[in-house]
Amino acid sequence: MSLVLILNLIWQISTLALVALGLAIVFGKLRIMNMAHGEFVMIGAYAPVITASLGLPGWLQLPVCILTVALVAFVLERSVIRHLYGRMFDSLLATWGIAILLREGVELIFGRGYQSVSPPIAGTVTILGADYPAYRIAVIAGIAVGFAVLAWWNRRSKVATRIKAMVGNPELAQAVGINTARLSAGAFVFGCCTAGLAGLVLAPTIRIEPMMGLDYLIRAFFALVVGGLGSLEGLAIGAGIIAGTQSLLGALASQTYGYLAVLTLSILFLWLKPDGIRPSSR
Amino acid sequence: MASVLLPASLLLAVLMLIPELFGDFMAYQIGLYLIYGIAAQGIGYLWGKTGVLPLGQALFFGVAAYVTAIALRDVQGLGAQLVLALLVLAVLAGAAFVLATLIFRGRSESGPYFSLVTLALAMIAEQVAGTATGLTGGFNGLSGFQSLAALDPFGGFYYVIVAATVLVSLLLLILNRLPATLIARAVADNEPRLQLLGFPTHVVKGMAFAFSAVIAALAGGLFASHQGIVTPTSTGFALSAELVILAAVGGRFHVFGPLLGAVVVGWASAELRDSFPYWELLMAVAFILVVLKAPGGLAELIERAFRQAWPAKPPVPQPPLEAPPPLAAQAAQPLKFQDVELRIGVVRILNGVSFETPATGIVSIIGPNGAGKTSALNTITGNLHPTGGSICLGDARIDMRPPYRALGSGIGRKLQVPSVFFSMSVSENLTIAMMAGRARRLDYLKPSTFRWRSAALARVLEHPSVPLKDEVTQPVGTLPQGHRQFLEFAMTAASAPPVLLLDEPCAGLSPDETALMTDLVRQYQAETGALVIVIEHDMSIVEAISDKVLVLHQGRVLAFDTYAAIRADPQVSMVYAGGTK
Repeated sequence: MSLVLILNLIWQISTLALVALGLAIVFGKLRIMNMAHGEFVMIGAYAPVITASLGLPGWLQLPVCILTVALVAFVLERSVIRHLYGRMFDSLLATWGIAILLREGVELIFGRGYQSVSPPIAGTVTILGADYPAYRIAVIAGIAVGFAVLAWWNRRSKVATRIKAMVGNPELAQAVGINTARLSAGAFVFGCCTAGLAGLVLAPTIRIEPMMGLDYLIRAFFALVVGGLGSLEGLAIGAGIIAGTQSLLGALASQTYGYLAVLTLSILFLWLKPDGIRPSSR
Repeated sequence: MASVLLPASLLLAVLMLIPELFGDFMAYQIGLYLIYGIAAQGIGYLWGKTGVLPLGQALFFGVAAYVTAIALRDVQGLGAQLVLALLVLAVLAGAAFVLATLIFRGRSESGPYFSLVTLALAMIAEQVAGTATGLTGGFNGLSGFQSLAALDPFGGFYYVIVAATVLVSLLLLILNRLPATLIARAVADNEPRLQLLGFPTHVVKGMAFAFSAVIAALAGGLFASHQGIVTPTSTGFALSAELVILAAVGGRFHVFGPLLGAVVVGWASAELRDSFPYWELLMAVAFILVVLKAPGGLAELIERAFRQAWPAKPPVPQPPLEAPPPLAAQAAQPLKFQDVELRIGVVRILNGVSFETPATGIVSIIGPNGAGKTSALNTITGNLHPTGGSICLGDARIDMRPPYRALGSGIGRKLQVPSVFFSMSVSENLTIAMMAGRARRLDYLKPSTFRWRSAALARVLEHPSVPLKDEVTQPVGTLPQGHRQFLEFAMTAASAPPVLLLDEPCAGLSPDETALMTDLVRQYQAETGALVIVIEHDMSIVEAISDKVLVLHQGRVLAFDTYAAIRADPQVSMVYAGGTK
């Protein structure tokens, strides 16, 4: 296998892990099945389109992305999602409606057609004799550092425990002094922002369009099905298996076969190992 | 019968009038909405009754549409075409059944997993349809075939659609009055309870999904013939999403809800889509509002208004029928635990529990909180599988089977917090209990099954002090806690299991009710010669009913003896006096 193929694989795995991270937080911790997760990836990917159309400098892409996604996520959490804690099925439906709303909203603003943007870092670097886009190397490194920091913080912080307490029994959590409104909104917005960030880093490498989100939702969800909802480690394993299967089969056969293989794998996992490789402790 | 025929004939009359009143073009459009409405009716049944939400229903719609298009193009003769249609429906139903049972096996909730798998399947189907140009015509679609029996889509074919709509509605109206739908509703209401009553809930969901798939496929076949062209969007996720929205907005709990949703949304969409650019946004907001504020959709709002004007008549009580005997009649047998261990993560719940009960009599399990009492019962019913050791009933090992097989192996169980079907009436709860372990396949399709009652159940219900007989038509959700305890006891006892597990049957009962419950337990044991295992904290009850007492402490057996011997045991008093831990 050539080095470029391996680097492509690492790129696919790390970006999928970033997409799945927010879904894991919102689904795994808040027990909200966010069908609009992919739409937050999509909104994040439109951030460079926004800055370009407003004539803003390139370094503003990140703040514009985070601000837009956080604002949309916050408004939706306060208006819709907060009624749905503890009602997973209704959360699936309502966020399905939100997904349609966001797709149609973006389509009204930017139109149905494809957009593309160029990467902020041009050129290639040479690794072990193989030329690879410098932008992708930078993103892979950034995601790796981000996950390391998150794992370190997750071990020390009690936020995950407080979220678990809040979802398990909101009244009792309030009684012991947890600000549930701030905690739930914070967790939801954080989860959506990681999705938006994933959209931003993916933007230069894909075709940006209003319908692009669904594919990311499905793959992120299957990564969680395979990896389990228990840990960052499970998330990484799940992303590895899903992205690995899809890009290998995609390269060897066709995209459709890659997709079919991922789906078959997920159904097998749901059947034989319903809690994934690293199950949650709940 | 009037409650079925009247709405169906009203529907038929309204649909037959449409071409006369509004002309052929309007009828053509309404025909398309009705086709979507039929597919949404299937979703409404699956989702409204069993609580399973299919997000990829266009898969069946689209596959059937493509097959119909190919058949209308290449197969000669109406007879051959219809035989092929039946064949395709059977294949799709089988595939849907296998998929759903595989995914739901080993779960006791419907979760988002199944919904997302169906969504992914629809997305793949759309991709395949778009790329397999030779078979499907690719993105340009498949066209150039005649309508079914060469009927004009703007004329005669409308009546084919009307016939299909009325037939599907009639089928659903009848099905809703059969025991099969009662079981489907019980899945959505309280799946773990239904499993303990011996129903394989994954099979129930699989059958409901297969049924909804067949209806979606039927609609897809009509669609191909009606439109004269099939494109990849007919099998994609956007149509799947729209069908779910039609069912939700129209009302998934009613037979006519999805039809209403399809016609209202379709008509409004045709009127507004071009003049009002925010139409799609408006639909999404309407859908979110329905989910949050009116889960029953339009149909429920209409029904509520209707019921205020004409209140529903209370159901006329039917004379009871003697229920058939349980299918798997067994004799009472001793229950044997051998070195049973149970670990969940790092928590050790049972640490080598060994005991053997007598074949008959009343055994009480006592022990401090966290001793592993309820977990021990969970291992007996298969809700938890031991990580070591074995559990046998007589000579048969029972520790690795799923909970829905517990009743079949002779074990009935009442849970700690009363677990009944909360959205149903007392009599519906009792009907499900009477079907448990007795109903054969055909009984699910016979209305007479609703009238099944057994002598054992009658003894509990007719007992002068049991409060339930005046509450048979009331929804269980409004009953006080104590009455729910009696209801769950009656439901568990109804199938006359030779081994009856009761988890704190007297919790939350008044002293009088407690005395009544202990009477009932003793009466059940005396009449059936069963082995009854009771978890109980109240020592006066333990003393009154127990032939033997099992003391659990920190996941181990501390003592297993008669009540008198247990009382004299210094170790037991140490644990209860709070001595050593």
